[in-house]
Amino acid sequence: MTRNTRILMSILYWAFVIYLFVPLIMMVLMGFKDSNFIGFPIRSWTLHWYTIVVQDMEVLSIFGYSMIIALSSTVIALMIGTWAAILLGPTKFRGKMIVFALVCLPAVIPGIISAIALRIFAETINLSPGTLAIIIGHTIHNVPFVVLVVIARLNTQPISHIDAAKDLGADNLIAFFRVTLPYLKPALIGAGIFCMLISFDDFVRSFFLGGYEPTLPVYIFSQLRTGMSPVINAISAVALLITVIFGLMAERIIRQN
Amino acid sequence: MPINNSRISASDSRGFWSWLSSNQSYHSVSLFLIGTHRKRFIFLAAVPILWALVANFAPLLKMLEISFYEAYPLSKGREIVYTLDNWVEFFLLNVYTIPFLRSIVFSIILTISTLILTYPIAYFLAQHLPKSKQLLYLLILLIPFWVGEIIRTYAIMILLGNRGLINLILQFFGLIEKPIPFMYTYFSLGIGIVYLTSLYMLLPLYSILEQIPKNLLEASADLGAGPWTRFWRVTLPLSKDGIASGCTLVFLISMGFYAAPVMLGGPSSTMFSETIAGHFNVAADRWPVGAAFSSIMLISTLVIAATFLKIMGRGGKGIIR
Repeated sequence: MTRNTRILMSILYWAFVIYLFVPLIMMVLMGFKDSNFIGFPIRSWTLHWYTIVVQDMEVLSIFGYSMIIALSSTVIALMIGTWAAILLGPTKFRGKMIVFALVCLPAVIPGIISAIALRIFAETINLSPGTLAIIIGHTIHNVPFVVLVVIARLNTQPISHIDAAKDLGADNLIAFFRVTLPYLKPALIGAGIFCMLISFDDFVRSFFLGGYEPTLPVYIFSQLRTGMSPVINAISAVALLITVIFGLMAERIIRQN
Repeated sequence: MPINNSRISASDSRGFWSWLSSNQSYHSVSLFLIGTHRKRFIFLAAVPILWALVANFAPLLKMLEISFYEAYPLSKGREIVYTLDNWVEFFLLNVYTIPFLRSIVFSIILTISTLILTYPIAYFLAQHLPKSKQLLYLLILLIPFWVGEIIRTYAIMILLGNRGLINLILQFFGLIEKPIPFMYTYFSLGIGIVYLTSLYMLLPLYSILEQIPKNLLEASADLGAGPWTRFWRVTLPLSKDGIASGCTLVFLISMGFYAAPVMLGGPSSTMFSETIAGHFNVAADRWPVGAAFSSIMLISTLVIAATFLKIMGRGGKGIIR
């Protein structure tokens, strides 16, 4: 390819980077603006909005609530997802493709439909909207993700590992806990952090399955219905910071291996 | 399985696992659960299959069933009456069919736009950067996608607002006098959805383009193929799988957005997801209609996606061996 196309593509890449970053930078910037109005021009700066957020018990408890939901749904998803991955990874059996498709189904169902279906399902099993319903909803959404990451890792595991463990007297269950699970550890931590991010950021399931207590995205959404406010920018900026830190951590753990 | 019970005891310094592997009751449990190949398979398969059926499949099936109910949730003393009205209603009213068609057409347009936008970027990352730089450049693109859907949508609202950066720049250069009202139009919705989904196109494209050996392109160049011929005859056909999975993902995800159309769209760009959700916010007896509409959307999106994958000649190949 000629030199010009290379430069052109490099420009396109950086333009894309700008497209991805500028909206977020603008959002964070507006959180430091000393005015109630979101938009240019910015005449003076303040930390006022952040002090409001840090002192607001309601907002802080919403952060905590979202994190509890993220953590619980991630732990359950890791267990079920790993179990499914062990089944779908090395073992060969008839109908494997069908089981795989069924397990990963939530990954290809459009968000709104999955949320509506779960809302209806919760009603039929007499599960009222609220924390438990959200946790189940997020778990269902997270499992396919864990399955994909763990299968990818399992596919790189040498079979001799498990054979060696068995020669040393371990049965299948012990071989799993002593050999396979430690081997999967980086994949599980990486997948776990990303599941937490997905759950922490999820809107549509939390919105339809939630009770009176909102998760963070639902709270931001409902606040925005009454108009933009720099307080929302400050909340979003804090959430953004948490997300990016966790994401970078997960990325490092996965990359190290 | 050879276990020497006499040498390994509970007090053994090798700890829990050696104690467990010499424990008789553990062995009977283990033998009962995973003693034979058959038992092992059943033990392994039961939980995931049960989970997939109950958690993944049952809710969709239940939604389909409710869509034939006359009313749901049922008030006390009311009996289940089956009807086709909820499905018929969809075809009778323009306020339903138009958002439905709009959603599909709009999502297809956005999918194609995302493909055109991200293909050169993925190509640049995979074929023009040295391996050592690829991960860093990719990571830069990943970071914004960790941020939540609502926050990113809000960021787009700020960017495109009347006093946002875009209008500021346009006014600064004297291109416009009054701010352009970008918000609450197809434009703002499109920008927002591409912003939310482009990674799902970029990643499959990148991973397939990365696998194309460079010497293949060199060979075709040696045989006299110009840059365009090489692109059309070599690169593009070889990246077909990435295009197929990227487009399917982006299409399905864009169809499923609810918050983005509410926050970025206007009354003239109502999406079908909003129409569906509307039936769950108001009176309870609209649930079956919402369920019917959801089923219509689910069936049509999956049919479109499957047809597309079929045309692209790609079944479920890939991760599963």
